[in-house]
Amino acid sequence: MALSKIDIENMVTGELTTTNGGTGATSFSEGITEADTWRITTNFAGDADPITSNWERDDTDGNGYIGTGMSQSSGIFTFPSTGYYRVTFHHQFSGMVSGSNSNYVQHAIQYTADNSSYDDATEQWGQIFQNGSYNMATSSKIFDITDTSNQKVRFSTTSQGNNIYTQCHSTKNITYATFIKLGAT
Amino acid sequence: MRPTHIEDYLVNVRKGQWFGWSDSKNKIYANLIVHDGGSKPTEQQCTDGLKALQDAWDAANG
Repeated sequence: MALSKIDIENMVTGELTTTNGGTGATSFSEGITEADTWRITTNFAGDADPITSNWERDDTDGNGYIGTGMSQSSGIFTFPSTGYYRVTFHHQFSGMVSGSNSNYVQHAIQYTADNSSYDDATEQWGQIFQNGSYNMATSSKIFDITDTSNQKVRFSTTSQGNNIYTQCHSTKNITYATFIKLGAT
Repeated sequence: MRPTHIEDYLVNVRKGQWFGWSDSKNKIYANLIVHDGGSKPTEQQCTDGLKALQDAWDAANG
């Protein structure tokens, strides 16, 4: 008699066989359980250390997020659950630079372990070389979040002179952050 | 890029994140909000400021 079904509950014990390419693992892990994107809606000039205002969750053009999502207040992002998270910040900027000068732009993902004091967990630099030119910088880090009440992140940007503009939009992701939970801590 | 919106003027009024929009999908003057407690430009100042930026851009770019 041909076998038409496999009785998983009764015929497979606690280990996945290594026959035919199995892993021998004793359990399955879930796929991505948290993924979220937040962006800044409004352009600004000069420094924002930290970036406190005009954040919104991506809500246009086939948007979506997985799980509970991040929560945000005054630019401080709280993780929805413990775990390893990859946080990435994409920063686009333009500038008005006179002559042959250039201006630097720096951004950071800032991290706190005590919900108070922040360190720059990443630091990324870019440069504007001429009037009206655009550039972008991206930084990323994997955080081990074991205490969602005290371990948080925020973002900052500083620049040389005052003629650097952070480019933002409310219907496109131009300057934005992504948060993806990679697994349990 | 040629300035097209009053936001292009507003970013030059003060540095930092001093302003935003009560409805970010509808960036009209009536929805302009001030975050830093400073003064809010008038609608006329925004209109004139944008035009000045456009005139300067046009002069520089033909």
